[in-house]
Amino acid sequence: MSNQLENVVKQQKEQQGFTNQEKVEKDIVQLVGFIVGDEEFAVPILSIQEIIKPIEWTRVPFTEDYVLGVFNLRGNVLPLIDLRKKFHVPDAEFDDNTRFIVIKIGNELAGFVIDRLTEALRIEESSILPAPDTGMDKDMMIEGIGRKDDRIISILRIKTLLKTED
Amino acid sequence: MDEMQEIMEDFLIEAFEMIEQLDQDLVELESNPDDLDLLNKIFRVAHTIKGSGSFLNLDVLTKLTHHMEDILNKARKSELKITPDIMDVILESVDMMKALLENIRDNGTDVTDDINIDPVVAKLDAISKGEAVATENEDKAEEEEVEVSDEEDDISEVDLENMSPEEVEAEIERLLKQRAEEDKKLREEMKKENSSENKSESPKEEPKKEKKEEKQVPKKQEPKSTPKKEAQKNVPAKKTSNVEQTIRVDVNRLDNLMNLIGELVLSKNRLIKIYNDVEERYEGEHFLDELNQVVSSISIVTTDLQIAVMKTRMLQIGKVFNKFPRVIRDLSRELGKKVNLIIKGEETELDKSIIEEIGDPLMHMIRNSVDHGIESPEERIAKGKPEVGTIELKAYNEGNQIVIEIADDGNGMDPEQLKQKALEKGLISEKEADMMSDKEAFMLIFKAGFSTAAKITNVSGRGVGMDVVKTNVEKLNGIIEVDSTPSKGSVFKIKIPLTLAIIQALLVAAQEELFAIPLANVIETVRITTEDISAVEGKSVLKLRDEVLPLVNMSDIFKIEKILGMNQYLYVVVLGVGASKVGLIVDGLIGQEEIVIKSLGEYLKGIEGIAGATIRGDGKVTLIVDVAALMKLAKETHSNTIATIAVEKKKKKENPEDYVILIVDDSNTDRKIMKNAIKPLGFQIKEATNGEEALNILKNDSNIDAALVDIEMPKMDGYTLAQEIRKYNRFKNLPLIAVTSRTTKSDRVRGVEVGMNEYITKPYTPDYLANVLKRNLKLS
Repeated sequence: MSNQLENVVKQQKEQQGFTNQEKVEKDIVQLVGFIVGDEEFAVPILSIQEIIKPIEWTRVPFTEDYVLGVFNLRGNVLPLIDLRKKFHVPDAEFDDNTRFIVIKIGNELAGFVIDRLTEALRIEESSILPAPDTGMDKDMMIEGIGRKDDRIISILRIKTLLKTED
Repeated sequence: MDEMQEIMEDFLIEAFEMIEQLDQDLVELESNPDDLDLLNKIFRVAHTIKGSGSFLNLDVLTKLTHHMEDILNKARKSELKITPDIMDVILESVDMMKALLENIRDNGTDVTDDINIDPVVAKLDAISKGEAVATENEDKAEEEEVEVSDEEDDISEVDLENMSPEEVEAEIERLLKQRAEEDKKLREEMKKENSSENKSESPKEEPKKEKKEEKQVPKKQEPKSTPKKEAQKNVPAKKTSNVEQTIRVDVNRLDNLMNLIGELVLSKNRLIKIYNDVEERYEGEHFLDELNQVVSSISIVTTDLQIAVMKTRMLQIGKVFNKFPRVIRDLSRELGKKVNLIIKGEETELDKSIIEEIGDPLMHMIRNSVDHGIESPEERIAKGKPEVGTIELKAYNEGNQIVIEIADDGNGMDPEQLKQKALEKGLISEKEADMMSDKEAFMLIFKAGFSTAAKITNVSGRGVGMDVVKTNVEKLNGIIEVDSTPSKGSVFKIKIPLTLAIIQALLVAAQEELFAIPLANVIETVRITTEDISAVEGKSVLKLRDEVLPLVNMSDIFKIEKILGMNQYLYVVVLGVGASKVGLIVDGLIGQEEIVIKSLGEYLKGIEGIAGATIRGDGKVTLIVDVAALMKLAKETHSNTIATIAVEKKKKKENPEDYVILIVDDSNTDRKIMKNAIKPLGFQIKEATNGEEALNILKNDSNIDAALVDIEMPKMDGYTLAQEIRKYNRFKNLPLIAVTSRTTKSDRVRGVEVGMNEYITKPYTPDYLANVLKRNLKLS
């Protein structure tokens, strides 16, 4: 390969920004952090379709209590799950910080209610500890524990978020 | 390689289509063994498949079809008479052909351990040899393969003038086949510079060429032209016009198109809603006319577009019906019965997805009619009926629905006998049996675990099946009706909607929640008062004309908390699936709307009573009720809930002390003035300083009986508050009284628009306020 070509490729890579860095530093995980109750959680940034302010939803009968119902995201009907209820944290009123995180799980999209967003996180994969094995529902949903400064962040296992508990 | 793949796919599609037709033709042939047109048609199919198969190196398939062709060729030349026994073998080989083709489709090869063609080939051979001397067929096939490449020379070599008509035909067939094959070969090689006359890129054009040749040859021998040939000429001619005007489209593309149309319909609904809002607000303004025109034209075009796209997905039901003559033939031979199948309305069109789903249930019902319906010939003669039983299968349009009717002139069903049987099996109780109408009794055959066949055959009567039929039909939003007269016969009617994706629905409210009920299942809606409800054994029922309907509150079914007060009137939606009916109490009828069915997704699918969701004009999601499941739930709810009548009556209010009044005003002084005016009468009072606060109080406390509202307020003004309040069903009748210093006429109009019941301008006398309030609370 000529030098010229190499340069072009390099330039393009730089322009791609994130993807480039991701390729180079393979051990960095990018996450979005958020608060539910008193704890901070995170999900991989690439699994997030979008984050929206709360909109109206429709209750669906005969569902688990943490399924608030379904809502309309640009013509798609998505389930809405209250993470507080799912994690057995006492209910709270929605406020200005409340958000719906729309996550892609397999081929399905679903919305999750969270108290507030914290920040986009970059955590070294090697610093992520395995989840404690307490056999609790909530811990089953946790992929690992990440640390950022003094904070402890539970990284959620996306695939388990839509699993029914039984 | 891709090219090869493409050819293979084309071949398979073509082959499956031909075989479908083949079954029907063969059965027809059995009754008319001398129909040469038919024989020729059948021969052509075997021949085409053989030819293409050999080209694609499908040796097993080629071998099988080759032997079939032998027999058919003999039959064609009247060297062989098709007897039912021979037909059995031919049909068997057709089945094998199908199996092979399926295997090719799935695995790409016709070599498989599962299918052994040798026994059939041996049988075919035996027939061929048993009846006549071996012919030159063997050589012919080989010849064909060799000669594929130089067709042109071939034509000139054949001495057409000296051939008998049959031989000419055989020759035509052979040449045609070569043409088709060469064509394919050409395509494969893709050296398309030669496209002088064979510029066809797709096999669909082959029939055209067929016609061309067809014309050429007879011209050369005009004097010999026989009626037979003319008939043959007609067939391909018809084919040509069909073929040229069709185009094969990937189903996914159509599905995608349908989805887009769905979105468009939703947007259209939304546009209409917005237009209605705007119209109310700016009545009489000039631009409304223009807007109206645009909205209506978009609305019309969308509807037309929807119908047009729906039509592209339509297939003729003949596609399903076609396989039944064969089924009936096989069955009647097996059971020793004589059955004549009459098919009508096979050109009736249905959505592709429905066509795919309806085949199995229909098949089962047809089998059932032959097995249980039609009697044995002896029995029929004894009863004075014609020896041959008749099953009539017909399809026709009825409004927005397609009706498929299966009628037989057989045994019929005796309702009493059915009831007895169901009783024995513990499917119904004695009481239920007594109450049952004949129609309901007929529906018993669809209950799981019910089988009327005294002897269990391998055809039907295993007790599974008819209930599956019903479930399948209901999945398609369809209903089954049964009518029967003992010893005269039975009629089964399956009614299904034209399409699955977009339906007409009735929107109802259960408390604050809206639901869409497919209109096809709504028989009627009635408004009743609580006095109309009677209790039978502690269960509520409604006597409607000469019927007694079980009544269930929708809120009870879906376990919706009851927050609404009792209204004087109740709305009842009478739902019907098959012969059973249920009265569903709802809290409001919103209206009829065209809705697009959307799935709730993998995660929430399969919720009992819910078929899906739709997005309404205002962007909100509304759940669509699965009527069949809802009726099942309703029956459970009905027997579990003793008194299902709406809400327990609220404590009766007679005195001002029983009422809570909400005063909404940002001015402390104004609130005091209002309080002073009404407090002496004994009303309980709550206060809010702005619209937002008032709304929160209302939401959390449903005991408020009326509100006095100022207009000018911070955060949320009185107009907005009124609008917000009226969005809730439970506040629909809440008296709202505007108390304001805004006095212009337009202010008053606005007040009425947003839902204020009264409009009082400041200053006012305490008496006046008190009187207005009392009037609105209907206090004397």
